[in-house]
Amino acid sequence: MTNTIGEIEQAQVILVSGSNTTRTHPQVARRIYNAVDAGARLIVIDPRATKIARHAHIHLQIRPGTDIALLNGIMRCILDENLIDDLFIEMRTENFLALRDMLLGINLADIESITGVAREKIALAARTYAQARRAVICYCLGVTQHTCGTANVESYANLAMLTGHVEQEFTGVDPLRGQYNVQGACDMGALPAVLPGYQAVSDATVRRKFGRAWGCELPQKPGRTLLDMTHGALRAGLPGEENAPLAAMYIMGENPMLSDPTLGRVRTTLESLDFLVVSDIFLSETARLAHVVLPAACYAEKTGTVTNSERRVQYFRKAVEPPGEARPDSWIIRELAARMGHPMPYASEAEIMEEICLLTPVYGGMYHDRLAAGHGLQWPCPDRDHPGTPFLHKYSFTRGRGRFEPQRHVEPAEPPDEEFPFTLITGRSYYQYHTGTMSRRSPLLEREYHCPRLNMHPGDADRLGLREGETVRVVSRRGQVTFTLHRTDEAKPGRVSCDFHFRESPANMLTTAANDPVARCPEYKCCAVKVEACHE
Amino acid sequence: MDSQLYPSRRQAGTGPDRTGRNIYLPDQAVIREVIRENPLVNTYVLSLCDELANHRFTAAAGQFLMISMPHLGEAPISFSALPANGCFSLTIRNSGSLTGAVHNLKPGDILGVRGPYGNGFPMERLAGGELVILAGGIGLAPLRPVIESLLGAGSSRLSLLYGCRTQEDFCFRDDFDRWQELGLDLHLTVDQADPGWQGRVGVVTELLDQVEPEPDGMALICGPGIMIRFGIQALQNKGLAPASIITTLERHMKCGVGICGHCHSGDRLICLDGPVFSADTLPEPNNP
Amino acid sequence: MSDALFLHKDHLLPLLRRLGREYRLVGPVRNGLGDTMYAEITDLDQVRLDLRNQPQNSLKSFLFPQDDPLASYVVDEGPAREQALTYFPILPENRPTLFFGVRPCDLFGVLYMDLVFLGGRYRDIYYEQRRRGAVFLVLGCNRPFANCFCNATRSGPFLEFGFDLQLTDLSPEGKGYFVEVGKAGGRAITREMAPFFHPADEEQARLQYQRVLESRGLFEQLVHVDLACRLLEQDQDTSAILADLSARCQDCGGCAHVCPTCTCFTITDRPRGKDSGERVRCWDACTFAGFSLMAGGHNPVDVKRERLRRRFYHKLKTDVQRHGRPSCVGCGRCVDICFGGVDIIRFIRRLTDLDEARSTAAGKET
Repeated sequence: MTNTIGEIEQAQVILVSGSNTTRTHPQVARRIYNAVDAGARLIVIDPRATKIARHAHIHLQIRPGTDIALLNGIMRCILDENLIDDLFIEMRTENFLALRDMLLGINLADIESITGVAREKIALAARTYAQARRAVICYCLGVTQHTCGTANVESYANLAMLTGHVEQEFTGVDPLRGQYNVQGACDMGALPAVLPGYQAVSDATVRRKFGRAWGCELPQKPGRTLLDMTHGALRAGLPGEENAPLAAMYIMGENPMLSDPTLGRVRTTLESLDFLVVSDIFLSETARLAHVVLPAACYAEKTGTVTNSERRVQYFRKAVEPPGEARPDSWIIRELAARMGHPMPYASEAEIMEEICLLTPVYGGMYHDRLAAGHGLQWPCPDRDHPGTPFLHKYSFTRGRGRFEPQRHVEPAEPPDEEFPFTLITGRSYYQYHTGTMSRRSPLLEREYHCPRLNMHPGDADRLGLREGETVRVVSRRGQVTFTLHRTDEAKPGRVSCDFHFRESPANMLTTAANDPVARCPEYKCCAVKVEACHE
Repeated sequence: MDSQLYPSRRQAGTGPDRTGRNIYLPDQAVIREVIRENPLVNTYVLSLCDELANHRFTAAAGQFLMISMPHLGEAPISFSALPANGCFSLTIRNSGSLTGAVHNLKPGDILGVRGPYGNGFPMERLAGGELVILAGGIGLAPLRPVIESLLGAGSSRLSLLYGCRTQEDFCFRDDFDRWQELGLDLHLTVDQADPGWQGRVGVVTELLDQVEPEPDGMALICGPGIMIRFGIQALQNKGLAPASIITTLERHMKCGVGICGHCHSGDRLICLDGPVFSADTLPEPNNP
Repeated sequence: MSDALFLHKDHLLPLLRRLGREYRLVGPVRNGLGDTMYAEITDLDQVRLDLRNQPQNSLKSFLFPQDDPLASYVVDEGPAREQALTYFPILPENRPTLFFGVRPCDLFGVLYMDLVFLGGRYRDIYYEQRRRGAVFLVLGCNRPFANCFCNATRSGPFLEFGFDLQLTDLSPEGKGYFVEVGKAGGRAITREMAPFFHPADEEQARLQYQRVLESRGLFEQLVHVDLACRLLEQDQDTSAILADLSARCQDCGGCAHVCPTCTCFTITDRPRGKDSGERVRCWDACTFAGFSLMAGGHNPVDVKRERLRRRFYHKLKTDVQRHGRPSCVGCGRCVDICFGGVDIIRFIRRLTDLDEARSTAAGKET
């Protein structure tokens, strides 16, 4: 996020895209509700009529996968009505002409037919967003989980820069990170092409710095992405070292057997490994396939930090002892490293953090004693005296000037057709979390939601002769799954949605592994399915 | 506690629990016999394991027990036969994980039970005159002790109008002959007829036309909520006063003793103020 | 007023220390992150007592814990492979506790819980074990907090009865606390610890009265609770308000969790192996859709529109009918915690505004 979460409350316009905010980020939704109570306008972009969409002043109910077209349409309206921020574009950006030329070449009637949203509504949203002084964009996985996810995000960045809605307090572009420490994991380089602090593996100076600190030589090329690992079986047989099948995997706190797309292929890959080690707090579906399971300690059983969506690093103290033989992942890794001939003699978690501060510029001042004294610090925080950074890009962007990257609409990899006439959108529900390894163990949460649902528009359900509560079979080119049908006008005709929390209805049997060429993020938000009654 | 502060109309501590007993702790009951009523419904004949307690065990028609299964929690089940001759009965439908697990039990197995809870049917008002009973599906179960008691006394004119989805679903079939011999006027109906069914097809309220209840008689009704609502209406159309129509309600319950709040309906607690109500005292008349 | 006493500020801690030998101590403590909570105090010198800020919790969890094992159970197999099932109660230890620095609203919460757990047809011995022998030293509120409206619910800022002792801070003019003696527990303390207390003089009594008057004038929230209760009693139609608020409600159950008078719970079995487990009760909230869900899927509550109705009507109508007064104690905690802005103040205001609009319209017509 370029802003702090609290700043959202002071925005005049909030544009929410691909985010079921009240269900997945209630604290952010709370700020949005407060802002709206205080007079802010809310625009929601989502193919579904979610709770936040129903609260919106303008709901742009786009066809899945058409963000780029919509945003181009919005930007074109802004251009036409002369609402661009000339000064900002002049002083802080480059490549504007390329964007302008592209926008002048698009046809709003085409945009209307691609997105399914009326031109007047697009113009209204454009006007509302552009005319505000303080406007934030909040987006989530509805934007990134597409084959054009990176391009989607760049379009939102284009929009924000076009109107000067970045670089100040209460205005900016805010991706809402979901998993508890996903931001922190990325910050620490749990990504194939970067070392901690987003320092590139390809940079020799960076490699030298880390190599010296860690007493080893670091690989020059990026590693494999998640899909390359869990879908590796596909690439076996192709030339190149990066396509060689994996012999072993060490999976920590991830459950690809439910959360990765095209589950059939994931199972094949994992079962073909010579050696699978899983460390987790419960025996997940993935852990059940492992040769060795290393029980891990959960958040309350270890000391350390987590980093959230607003870049805030927060200190967590251990509160209870881990049960049985469970240990913190840091201990597990150090023990493994020692046995592999590379001892890691840190005396404490605080010492590990000191090394992070030493080697990672954006975390330069994140010492434990500073973090323990309050509610954490937001990076960049380059040294001990720095108070942290509430909002980003105050004086300049990281690369200097922001660059407009004009994008064109890309059709989803698997649009609906005659055989598979519905678009399936996978998402999350409120009471369960991810693959349910934790949330399904709570009797209250299970009581509230334990029946995997397929949301379908009543018109579609009538056409197919399906009743509320009926068991239905959803079929894609990759597999089939049963759900309980829920008739709702949250769905639009031609689109159905479900979540992926239930091992008895593993939605990812259906999804496609088609992914974004840059981020390699799978297109969970679009695949083609058919729905039929299931007479058991 | 401060009565000035909260002038409660409820008398403190009256009732069966001044002994310091632990109201949440189940007793053990052993299954003596399992009777299959239909593919989804079994009647379990039980005795309390503690012989002294079993000897002293009493309950009123309309009351219920909270039954326990290991790992699966508790559920409220009405008595389908009151404690007598060392046994009592619970008639249980397989409709969830707990009741499903109960359906795997056999004679000799132990069930946890707590109770009896709830108010009972107003037997003095039901006896002595005409009583029309409307039952749907397993709804006959809590009414069965009423029938047994009144037929035994022989002082009432009793008719039972009983409807189920199909003839396979009728419960307590083995009692029908005996009841009719004791004077019960029995009428059956199904929603859909399977081959071989010679009787009526239609909703149970239609049977009222065959019986023509007296306006100053009493009526008893139990079944799905929607049936109760329509049944009360039909009985009122026949001239019965709401106060003369008695029903028993179902709600999700956890404690059974009026503390946990789950069975809250309108301004009352079904486990404590009910489950038996007359039509003029229903907490939510549109939502029985 | 004749038996009112004075406790010098310096003597509060020594008094608590002495009482700590006889009682378990619970009082408001400020932790390292700036949060004030009622907490058990084992070492008076190691904690920072905080008598200035509103504790974020109420006393509920000390008498009715959020997670409370009731019994353990064991499943055996008999000689003929029959299932044998035995339950063993897990009764909490009774530890007479001195609750001090208790705000009036929180004491009211305890009195309400007494009614629920002890005052009905059945007595809850788990609650009784924790409650027996408890003594309450109330601290009157010289200054209401931002969301307080205990004046409207008549549960503060100072009480007339219900406490064992009620302390009023007389600083800066008076260097200590005006002490009112209420129930037997309080009388016993002032007798046993007589050297700590001196009879209050007229000046101190006057100061106390001044504090009470000042405090009443400092409420930031004006909430017409009585009017709301009356409108509900008259069956005022609230369906539009409730539908609106239910649409905003985020379903978190936070209001029920922080409310001093919310006592609903659920009971579940927690397996600890194939053959054993614990029967546990834990806090529940009537705003959850599954609260009234029955086997077979039927839910007698229209969850979309009526869910909040249960909550507000219970506090402002049902409990008025049953107990003669609303069970909301005006502590304002639900206002702080609510994500969607559907706290009880908002409901009451929507309801009373509706009435005002109606009477204004009616007035215009005449």
